[in-house]
This record gives sequence, structure tokens and C-alpha cells, in this order.
Amino acid sequence: MTAAQGITSLGRWGRERVEGMGRSGRFIGYTLVGARDVSTWWPQTTLHARELGVRSLPIAMYIALFTGIVLSLLASYSFTGAVPLYFVGTLVEKTITMELAPVLTGLALAGRVGANIAAELGTMRVTEQVDALETLAYDPYAYLVVPRVLSGTIMFPVVVGLAMVVGILAGWMASIALLGISSEEFLKGLRLFFTTFDVRYGLVKSASFGTAVTWIGCMQGLSARGGAQGVGQAATSAVVYSAVMILILDAFWAVVWLLGRTP
Amino acid sequence: MKRANDFVVGLTMLIGAAIIVAATLWVKQADFGRDQAIVTARFRDVGGVRIGTPVVIRGVRAGKIEAMELSDSAFVLARMSLDPEADLPVDAVVLLNESSLFGEWQATIMSRDAVGRDPDVVRQISETSRGGDVLPGATLPDIARLTAVAGRIAGDVASVAERVQVAFDEQAARDLRLSVRNFSELSTILAQTVREQSNNMTTMSADVRGGVQSLVRSAELLRAVAERVDSSTTRGEVRRIVDDAAEAARQLRETSRRLVGISEQLGRSQGKLESFLATSDSIAQKINSGNGSLGLMINDPTLYRNADSVLRQLSVLLADVQKNPRRYISLRIF
Repeated sequence: MTAAQGITSLGRWGRERVEGMGRSGRFIGYTLVGARDVSTWWPQTTLHARELGVRSLPIAMYIALFTGIVLSLLASYSFTGAVPLYFVGTLVEKTITMELAPVLTGLALAGRVGANIAAELGTMRVTEQVDALETLAYDPYAYLVVPRVLSGTIMFPVVVGLAMVVGILAGWMASIALLGISSEEFLKGLRLFFTTFDVRYGLVKSASFGTAVTWIGCMQGLSARGGAQGVGQAATSAVVYSAVMILILDAFWAVVWLLGRTP
Repeated sequence: MKRANDFVVGLTMLIGAAIIVAATLWVKQADFGRDQAIVTARFRDVGGVRIGTPVVIRGVRAGKIEAMELSDSAFVLARMSLDPEADLPVDAVVLLNESSLFGEWQATIMSRDAVGRDPDVVRQISETSRGGDVLPGATLPDIARLTAVAGRIAGDVASVAERVQVAFDEQAARDLRLSVRNFSELSTILAQTVREQSNNMTTMSADVRGGVQSLVRSAELLRAVAERVDSSTTRGEVRRIVDDAAEAARQLRETSRRLVGISEQLGRSQGKLESFLATSDSIAQKINSGNGSLGLMINDPTLYRNADSVLRQLSVLLADVQKNPRRYISLRIF
């Protein structure tokens, strides 16, 4: 390899990275432009909200149920010696509300919702249904992307909020049944450091997760090329990028909102 | 289908929101539609207290901190909502303190008399007492401050330890080792002594036990004697013994009286004897000095020689008489 070829490869790598960022930026821009076409995306929104949100409730509740149980047992295992056991309630509340319910539910929905969206839109792309929409003067962003992103942004907090309640209830029941902690003790720990900020933090974070998961799923689906292989690759990429983005956003919100904050 | 989707999504959102809001309010123990008694307290510093911190009266949760705001002259006003049925103590003050080691705070409403005599608390309460409806308050030191004080104390102890280390040189260590060794020997001796004393005590205990047993036996004998005396009393033996004792005493008194007479006679005899001895002594002196016939007879050897000569002549005469009685004796009957 000559020096000129090396420099060319470096330039291509850099251009591709910038191209990826540019494609993402352009996708967001088209989505925002499509949001202006309310008459197009509004009728589709509840359909996707039901698909992405309501039908995701069982898996979210299932995850929250076992997370709450395991978390209470883990807390009692950790709190030996001087730490009173009513702090199990504190740990369950803080952890479920602020971290585990949003992140675990977000990761589960990234697999279910992100892959679903990417596969659906990828199939539409490779079967030229998206081209057909454009031919019919439909803005594919207004018709396909905006209602899904909006549904995800709205329904993720609902699902996560219910997961919080179920997770804490599961931890409460597990503490009573398995750990011998009285209901009063658990509630004492639960209320000890509870603030409404905990709930707001979790819900806002989950809303950002919903936006990211649906947006990545849409982008990967509409970027699909080729046939079924391209659709599968798009679905896989959607899940992977969604999971990575959830963790990045989790850290982002922690730094932005928690750093330097006193309860 | 579209209407069904709308309904399901709307219902889910409503139920989710209702559950989240209700759960939040329940955990926050929010009271809607119930009158609360509002009490305000003034503090210099509220420490780790925050909105929602429980308010406790006589150990029972009676409300919570509703709001806090900075007041004039570097005071903090804390507004507390209390159960309307909770009665405030007379001359109430509010103490902010940590309720556990884990950063939990609480506001305790108590009588001023129950505060104690901590000078810092008394000063804070004095500073925040301004009359009116605002209760005076004080903040107890939190664990961090106590830990800081403990840290300073630990530093002082370390400093002292360092000085001790300086003073505790090799010689001191040797002396200390020697002292420890001596102490060990001393303790061994002491242990041995204690052991011996213990044995002695054991022996003494045994002796005492034996003595006690003897006493018991003596007591039993005494009891038997007493019983015997008691039984003898009925047969008149005691009376006879008493009478005999009285007779013996009377005889003793008589004997004593006689002895007194004899003693007086002896005294008189002693006087006579002394007079006799004095006379004898005087006579002896006279004899020794050769006065009188007896003195001359004793002190003059002439008498002795004459007497000896006479006796010798008498002896010769007697021998002659025995040899020739007719020369001297002439017996005639008629």
C-alpha cells in the first residue's frame, strides 16, 4: 500500500463517519419537517401507540416483577451489620424508580419495538412501498416516522411508570414474604428519601429512550437495502444502536440532572 | 378499528397516569382535603432538614416540614404542617436532629424544660426566641460534625502517642520489660501465696467447721444438762446443792474469820518475836563485847581453862572413886 492509498483510506473512513452523522442529522431534519404535516401522522399515532406501548406492557411488567423481587433480596444480602433492613425499601424505590425500570424496560422495548419498526420499515423500503408512498405524494417521514417516534415518546413513560409501580410492589411483597421485613419497615425506608424528582427523572429518561429507540428503528428500517438480508441487518442494527443509545442517554441524564444535585 | 385504538391507548395513558400520580401521592403521604395545623419555627441553621422531613412530638410522627425560607438576620423559618389533633407542649421549642446514622433528620417539638443544659442548644434557643407565634428552634450537631470532632480528638491522641513514642526509648522499653518480668514473678509469688492462704483458709474453715460442730455438740450437752437440771429440780437435788453451797459458804466465812484472828495473833507473835530478837541481839552484842558474866565467860579463856582443869580433876577424882570407893564413901548403918 502506497502512502497515497493510505491517505485515501483514511479520508474515506472519515468521510463515511461524517456521512453517517450527516445522514442522521438529515433524518432528524426530515422528521421535524414531516411533523408539520399533522393530518398525515395524527391518524396513525394511536395505532402505533397501541402497538408500541399497550402491547409492550406484559413484557415490561414481567421484567419489573422479577427485578423488584431480586432487588429486595440483593438489598437484604448487602445490608448486613449496621445498616438497618428498612433501607431495603429505600434501595428498591430509588433503584427501581430512577434506574432499573427505565433502563431495563427501555432495553426490552429496544429489542421488541426497535426491531419491529426496523423490520417493518425495512420491508417497506426493500419492497418499494416507501417509493410508492412518495409517488403518491405522501411524505414517508410524516406518514411512517413521526407517528412512531411520537408514540414511542409518549408511551414509553406510561409503560415505565407502570413498571415502577409493579417493581416496587414486587419488592415490597418479596420483603414481607421472603425477608421477614414488616410492611411498616419497608414503607418507612420507601418514604425515607422519596421525592417526586425520582419519578420525574425516571419518566423523562424513559421518554428520551422511547424517542431514541423509535427514531433509530425508523432510520435503520428506511436505510435498509437489498432483500430480506438487508431487512434483518437493519433490525439487528436497530436493536444494537438502540441499546447503545439507551445507555448513552442514561449516562447523559445522570450527568446533566444528578451531578451536583442534592435530594 | 381506529376508534378502538384511540380508546385503548387513551385508557392506558389515563390508567398509567392515575396509578403513577396516586402512588406518588401515597408515598409522599399527601393529605388532601384535611385541615392541618401550621406551626412556624425559627432556626439559625436547619442542617440536613429538607421539605418533607417528619415532625415528631413525644416520639410520634405528627406532621412534616412543608416549607423553609431564609429570614432576616440570618435566620431560617421552617413551616410545619401538623396533625390538628396533636397538642403542642407548653413553652414548645423545636429541635432539629438526626434520627439515625444514615442521614435521616427529624424535627422534634418538645417543652423548653426538656431540652437539657447543652450550652450550644440553650444559646440557639435563646437567640431564636422572639415571642409571637414563631417557635424557637435549635439544631443539634450532625454526625459529620461529631465525626470531625472525633477526628480532631484522634489527631490529638496521635500527637500524644507520638510524644510517648519519643519518650519511650530503648532504655524505657528495657525497664518496662524488666518491670513486666518482675511483675510476672510477683504475680507468680502472689498466686502461690494466695494458693497457700487458700489452703490455710480451707484448713481454718475445716477447723471452724469442727469448732462449730463441737459447739453444736456442747450445746446439745448443755441442753441435756439443762434438761437434767430441769428434771432434777423436781427431786430437790438442786435445793440440796444450794443448801450445801450455802453451808460451805458459811463455813468458808467462819474459816476466813478464824484466819483473820490467826493472822492477828501471828502479827502479835511477830511483834514479840521482833522484840525477842532485838533483846537477843542486844544480849549477843553484850556477850560479844565481853560485858557481864556471860560475856566474860564466853570471851575470857581463863574460865574455860579453869573449867577444863576442874573437869579433868573431876575425871581423875571419879576414876579414883571408882577405883577406891571406900576411901571416899563410908557406909554405916548404925
